[in-house]
Amino acid sequence: MTPEEPPPSRSTGERSNTPASHRVTGTNSRTALATLPAVLVTASLCLLAASLAPESARTGVAWGGGAAAVALCVAVAYAAHHRLVARQLRDALTEEQIKAASGRAATQHFAEVTVPALVERLREGASAESALAAEPAGDEQQRRTLHLLATEIHRSESVRAAAMAACANAAGRVQAMTTSMAADLRDMEHRHADQDVLGDLLHLDHRTAQTGRLADCIAVLTGARSGRRWAKPIVMESILRGAMGRISGYQRMRLHSTSSVAIAGHAAEGVMHALAELMDNAANFSPPTSEVHVYVEEVSAGIVVTIEDGGLVMGDVALKRAERAVSPIDWELPSHSGTRLGLPVVGRLARKHGLHVSFRPSAHGGTGVLLRVPQELIVHSWPQSDAPAAGAPTLEAVVQPAATPAPAAPAPAPAPAVTEVRVPPVPGEAALVPEEGSAPADSVPAESAPAGSADPADDLAASSPFAVPAQPGLEERRTEAEPSHPAERPTKDRQTLAFPAVAPEAHGQPADPGATAGSTDPAPAPTDTPSAEPAPEHSGMVEYGESGLPKRQRGRTLAEARRPNSAARAAARANQPARDPSQSGSRFGAFRRAVRDPQAEGTDNTPPASPAQSPAPPTHASSRPEDDSE
Amino acid sequence: MSGPDRPDRPGRTSRSAREESPDRLYTVTGGRSHSDPKEFDLVTLVVSECSPTITMQSEHAAILRICQSPTAVVELAADLDLPISIVRILLGDLLSSGRITARHPRSTATDTASSLPDPDVLKQVLVGLRNL
Repeated sequence: MTPEEPPPSRSTGERSNTPASHRVTGTNSRTALATLPAVLVTASLCLLAASLAPESARTGVAWGGGAAAVALCVAVAYAAHHRLVARQLRDALTEEQIKAASGRAATQHFAEVTVPALVERLREGASAESALAAEPAGDEQQRRTLHLLATEIHRSESVRAAAMAACANAAGRVQAMTTSMAADLRDMEHRHADQDVLGDLLHLDHRTAQTGRLADCIAVLTGARSGRRWAKPIVMESILRGAMGRISGYQRMRLHSTSSVAIAGHAAEGVMHALAELMDNAANFSPPTSEVHVYVEEVSAGIVVTIEDGGLVMGDVALKRAERAVSPIDWELPSHSGTRLGLPVVGRLARKHGLHVSFRPSAHGGTGVLLRVPQELIVHSWPQSDAPAAGAPTLEAVVQPAATPAPAAPAPAPAPAVTEVRVPPVPGEAALVPEEGSAPADSVPAESAPAGSADPADDLAASSPFAVPAQPGLEERRTEAEPSHPAERPTKDRQTLAFPAVAPEAHGQPADPGATAGSTDPAPAPTDTPSAEPAPEHSGMVEYGESGLPKRQRGRTLAEARRPNSAARAAARANQPARDPSQSGSRFGAFRRAVRDPQAEGTDNTPPASPAQSPAPPTHASSRPEDDSE
Repeated sequence: MSGPDRPDRPGRTSRSAREESPDRLYTVTGGRSHSDPKEFDLVTLVVSECSPTITMQSEHAAILRICQSPTAVVELAADLDLPISIVRILLGDLLSSGRITARHPRSTATDTASSLPDPDVLKQVLVGLRNL
């Protein structure tokens, strides 16, 4: 109350000057009005008393009564006047109090509503004029205050925006530069075989990656888009190594990852960067000789990457501060000092991608960081063409325990189909089979039941990035076609039948899945039923040429072609060596003779010479064009 | 002139395919760039002695899988899309842990056959083939 009191009193004192004349005349007339009855009453009483009084005392009574009446009238007038004045003053006081209250409310509104709204408008990018126009100010003082405020804030805001844009732009350029430098370095690393040169290139590569991370940091903090986008999911091992490669102490990182999942391409860069910052923290705040361990764990909510160091233990306060720094909500750049950019960057990335980061004391004695990648960013598939590394080992690991004989189907499924297969990491065999191809499943029981232990290895390996579908059925047909001479008739038939199936395999293997599926599906159905009985020992075997070397189908990689099952290879070897040395020897001898006889140039001497040696070569010579045509 | 151009062209085409992996080569080798050059040359045949395990580095696992039948170092490098030197380092790891064995084809050839066909014979074979 006390601070509020003075202004009204002062104001009434000031204000009473201006309407003083009006008020004085008002009070005067009303005072006269109030005094009139008293004058009339006292005058009549005086006259009455003077008339009633005896003659002797009349003068005295008249004088006394008149004096008393005058005194009474003056007193009444005085009292009435002051009463009126007091009432007027009280009214004026309440009026001024009301005015003061409304003025206070206006000031409060100005401070609590108008100014913040103006500031917000300016922060949102409005110009000073438009923000001022949108916020009507009360009086002149407020208007001037608002104007000053608006211009100042607008100027600082535009300066800040320009600085951010400049930083973001510069960071983007550095990012582009480091990306192209990394690509160049990769090319150079492939080109230079010298170990010293390679070592230097790797060193430069590492430095470039660190520079790129710094640029990424600035880009993230300034709100620019992230450095690069990956077109396809990146497997976890590559994510971890990509993150590891961006920090200085990467040689101290120990990755323990058996996960085969991949991170969606649009989020891969962000996850990698966040992991890199956390790894860098762990490496920086632990002794330079200690190792930092990185574990990957698949949980129902996604993937949890744990980074544990053996360094300093963070106290409760530090842990809280770190948690706050990386919390996805409530992120603000100016609240962090400029030297420690890592955790704010992680927080920003976490908010962007929905990552969850938490800290805890580590069993290694230091601090453990848990980064959880949500399920939406995870892709459960094996990338086909590139990143051969990570999908493959887990595939093998799946094959080894799960090689049950029953569900082994030949894998004519084209390569793109495999990417669609969503398979849990370990019990994958059961899920793979029905999706890869239900059509060939009917041809399974005849041929693959005896050799089931060999087949799934082939067909899962075929779905690995290095290989192309193996097609055991086709190979089986063709391998048996060559060594088994007695069955001439069916061999011819099968070879002609096999042609349409092989041709699309060679031409349209990666590009045209429909053609492959369409042509291979009808092929096994008619041919496998007659060939069921000689099949077992050859099923899943690689085809061998006459020279004893494995033959490679067109479109298949060498690695796959050269991967015979050991048993099948032994069987094939057992079949062939009887004729191999003599045949090759005779053929080579024929060549030598052809070379030595200069006159035998015009007519081909080799066919007459070789039948004398052995009866076998002509048949093979006749069979060779067929092979070449394949 | 044509010197920088010629390697640039194939480099640029292969880059787009190769670039799509965030793996840097120094992370693959753990920062090492030197290997014993006597252990592996380009045509050394490598055979894996065990199957890959799940905890292995993926390149090691890939090498073991490819080398189930004897494979030359240069073919490995082509299959993995890695420089020869890097493959040598990886092979050195596997060799030192006994997971692969390496054979030099020349030494085995001289041991067993001891008669490599000399160029003259090969030329004559070529002539003979043309005469056929």
